[in-house]
Amino acid sequence: MSEPKKKGCLGCSFPLVIIIGIVFLGLVVLAVVGGAIGRELFGDLGLSFLEIDKPHPELPPEVVFQIFGFPITNSIVGAWFTIVFLVVFSWAVSRRLKLIPGRLQSAFEYILGSLYDFCQSVAGEVNGRRFFPLVATIFLFVAFNAWLSLIPGFGSYEVLNPEGHHMHLFRGANTDFNLPLALAFVSFFMVLFFGLKTMGFRYLELYVNFRQFVKGLGQLVRGKLKAGLSGVFLGVIDLVVGGLEFLSHLIRIVSLTLRLFGNMTAGEILLLVTAFLIPWLFALPFYGLELLVGFLQALIFAGLTLVFLTMATAGHGEEAH
Amino acid sequence: MWAALEALGFNTPVFLAQLINFIILFGLLYLVAYKPIMRILDGRSQKVRESMEQTEHIKQQAERAEAEVARQIEAAGKEGQELVARAARTGEEIKKQAQQEARQEGEALIARARAEIQHERDEAIGELREEFAGLTIMAAEKVVERSLDKKAHRELIDRVLEESDVLKRG
Repeated sequence: MSEPKKKGCLGCSFPLVIIIGIVFLGLVVLAVVGGAIGRELFGDLGLSFLEIDKPHPELPPEVVFQIFGFPITNSIVGAWFTIVFLVVFSWAVSRRLKLIPGRLQSAFEYILGSLYDFCQSVAGEVNGRRFFPLVATIFLFVAFNAWLSLIPGFGSYEVLNPEGHHMHLFRGANTDFNLPLALAFVSFFMVLFFGLKTMGFRYLELYVNFRQFVKGLGQLVRGKLKAGLSGVFLGVIDLVVGGLEFLSHLIRIVSLTLRLFGNMTAGEILLLVTAFLIPWLFALPFYGLELLVGFLQALIFAGLTLVFLTMATAGHGEEAH
Repeated sequence: MWAALEALGFNTPVFLAQLINFIILFGLLYLVAYKPIMRILDGRSQKVRESMEQTEHIKQQAERAEAEVARQIEAAGKEGQELVARAARTGEEIKKQAQQEARQEGEALIARARAEIQHERDEAIGELREEFAGLTIMAAEKVVERSLDKKAHRELIDRVLEESDVLKRG
């Protein structure tokens, strides 16, 4: 391969690179001086147009308006935004699906196809197909909630609420405690549903198992003292293990909720704070980071749900004995 | 506990709203994304499987055809060889027959010639004998004319006969 020798750097000629570098540096210096840090160090140098209000993040979402007394918060509006985006995009693509895909359809197929393969690789051929819609919806909802809230202007668009206060119309739905909690509940109940559907009421024995206990009692009544006592003892252990299992399921809800909520809220605050301290360019790397975090959190939430579903349907009740 | 939840932003109506949001999204995406995409993915894998099966089928067919051709070529070769062998055999037979015929003919010819020679010889001998007998008679007449004695007469006849015997045998 004999490529012509490239002149310059990064595909630009040297003078252009130098000019861009100088502009970049100038912006950084200006931003540092004009931002909150600069004001503390150098005092006000007449760069007040760079000033950004001190962020005062609030955990509960703000109520933008009410429908029949039902409060609609900006996080709900944010979730709607995501829903509309996802549904319109999917509809636009799937309206005319072709066997030989175009560019947009390829991207669409790639995203859903990877999720589908992921489901099948974890849960197997049949179950992967059953779990795919749920897992994919969780992934897409979380990921696009995170990514769309990174669009510049998304978090700063304000409207007047009925009481006359300025309100942010949109808020990343992941940063509202209620959404991760709702997703965690969905995850919990779907695990329960698929567990019951696959294994029937035997699935509940995982949590409440009196069988060994009753067997032990029966042996005691029949006068087999030694066998009966050990049977009762094992039965008590089974009950405790069942209780722990149940507790772990409840804790899953908490951990799923708090992981997503904490990560996304922290990310949002991080962006606000960096933009406040040093405006403009300083927040850029954190934007990249937040893109990655949004993807990861979506993958973790969806992946954990998938794993829990797989565990619930894999029939590990038999393994315990 | 409840206070902590509220501090984090928990709010029952909003929670329900987000739950409903998720369910709506699930339903809509199921309709506009998962169902069509599953259909198209399944269709594609089906198509791929079909075309692979078809390829396999065609390959088998080609193999079969090739084997058939090879078999036919072999059969044709064998047939040709057989033909050649048969032709050679036939040629050999014809040659033998011709030889035999030629020999027979030659023998017949020779036999006929021999018979003819014999016949001609016999004829010649017969003629010779007639001539000789005539000669003898002439000689006898001459002898008679010269009036030989009885003894000389006898000797003469004996000699003639002896000579004629020698002639006959030769």
